[in-house]
Amino acid sequence: MRSPSGVTVTGAAVTEFNRRRDNSSFRDWSASAFEQALRMSGLERRDIDALVVASESDFFTLQLNPASVLASDLGLTGAACSRVEGGGASGQLAVHAAVRAIQSGHIDHVAVIGVDPSASQLDPATVKSLYSYSFDAWTDGMSGITSTALYALSFQAFMQHSGLGISELAEVTRQNRRNATHNPGAHLGRTHTLDEINQSPLIASPYRRLHCSPLSDGAAAIILSGSRLTPGARRAAPSIIGIGAASDTAHLGARENIGSFAAKTRAMQRALKEADIRIADIDTAELYDAYAGAQLQAIDALGLSDNIATDLLDGAFAPTGTMPVNISGGLMGQGAPVGATGVAQTANCALLLEGRYHPPLQPSALPRIALADTHGGICTTAAVTLLAGARA
Amino acid sequence: MIKHNLPLEYTLAEGWLQPFSSGILSGGAVARQCSSCTEVSFPPHRTCRCGDTRGSWITLDGRADIHYRTMGADGDFALVKFRGADTLCTVKLCNFAADQRVGQLRAATTGQSLPALHLYPVQEHT
Repeated sequence: MRSPSGVTVTGAAVTEFNRRRDNSSFRDWSASAFEQALRMSGLERRDIDALVVASESDFFTLQLNPASVLASDLGLTGAACSRVEGGGASGQLAVHAAVRAIQSGHIDHVAVIGVDPSASQLDPATVKSLYSYSFDAWTDGMSGITSTALYALSFQAFMQHSGLGISELAEVTRQNRRNATHNPGAHLGRTHTLDEINQSPLIASPYRRLHCSPLSDGAAAIILSGSRLTPGARRAAPSIIGIGAASDTAHLGARENIGSFAAKTRAMQRALKEADIRIADIDTAELYDAYAGAQLQAIDALGLSDNIATDLLDGAFAPTGTMPVNISGGLMGQGAPVGATGVAQTANCALLLEGRYHPPLQPSALPRIALADTHGGICTTAAVTLLAGARA
Repeated sequence: MIKHNLPLEYTLAEGWLQPFSSGILSGGAVARQCSSCTEVSFPPHRTCRCGDTRGSWITLDGRADIHYRTMGADGDFALVKFRGADTLCTVKLCNFAADQRVGQLRAATTGQSLPALHLYPVQEHT
């Protein structure tokens, strides 16, 4: 492994993900996550040089330039502040922007906040319509195709070449929702039966309602610090050792392989190269499972398994398996406030590497290297982050 | 909780996509053909997959064959290949029976202003 990138995760926090009905707003959730992460870091707010906010859309927050408002709320006036947006990848891309800012040598400590009120501020039908514009608004968006339908078409192509199908969709669904039952902040901790999954309403074949992640509200925050300036009490905090991002054609139909998440593969290769590690060195992964099939496509694109069907049935991706995937429950179980997801994944990985994750889900053997993977569009924008614990 | 209604009425400039969007509204499939590799993209690519930005607009007959199809509560959608194109395209299927595999674009109806890719079934006799 190459020497660490010089970026330490000194603080990490994730709020509950759910549909808020308590009159709290995205500004409250952002503040809650930030204050908790700041306490963990041992830093003062005056130490924070920059704030990077991930939020997918002003349609959801009804707040243009949200970073400026959050900077004021959080007492960070004077710090540089900006917002990063890349659809579902917004959170990871915000983490990447913060990492590169620290590596530039001009910034010492950055707060990264991911947030979106995806569930409570607009009705679900409106959110569904807006998501159509996550793809090419002039072709996919105006034709009215939904996110679920587009993912379903991609997964159908994936099924053809992978041999994976309905039974694997059900197993991913059961596993992620079961993991979420042990995550007190999760939106959909459930123990589904196969019948419940296979009889849930058909949304876009082969996807049924229970194969889909929910719309959630919530926020996540991390504090990143230049390693030489990490507070003494946090010297053993995890480091970010490699990041990678890539893109694919906006039109699904223009791709050589409709079912393959090629941008994810490229992003992973770049992160692995930067970290100078092999895939086999990764101990746990938080993957972008907007749909059950997207998790299978991610495992394939990231190269995390040579035989996905066997590994899935053998429990390799379970919390006690050889390659635990989505210990948190992922988007399907933990929930999906879009801008928060990538930041939450990074926070979850950092907490797992430190042994500070929710006790029922914390692996008994401390993982050494973790992968956080997100994408926007139909894997049109991909971003992955590799983290290492202090023992790695 | 505060209720707030924010109506938005956009006036969208079509830009370089004008031949494409006008074509859809009149029931045609106007595609882009690369001057270098001759690939025909529909929906059109401003920059071809080969990297060349030079190209010309060509009109296809608007007929397409279904490659992948999804149905459910969200509607009936497909990845189709328009005849004469080299790339696939996502479309909404309108009134397609389960076994119908071929469709045709239609001119926009009165009041329809969006260049929506809606495909209607056609019967072909071999």
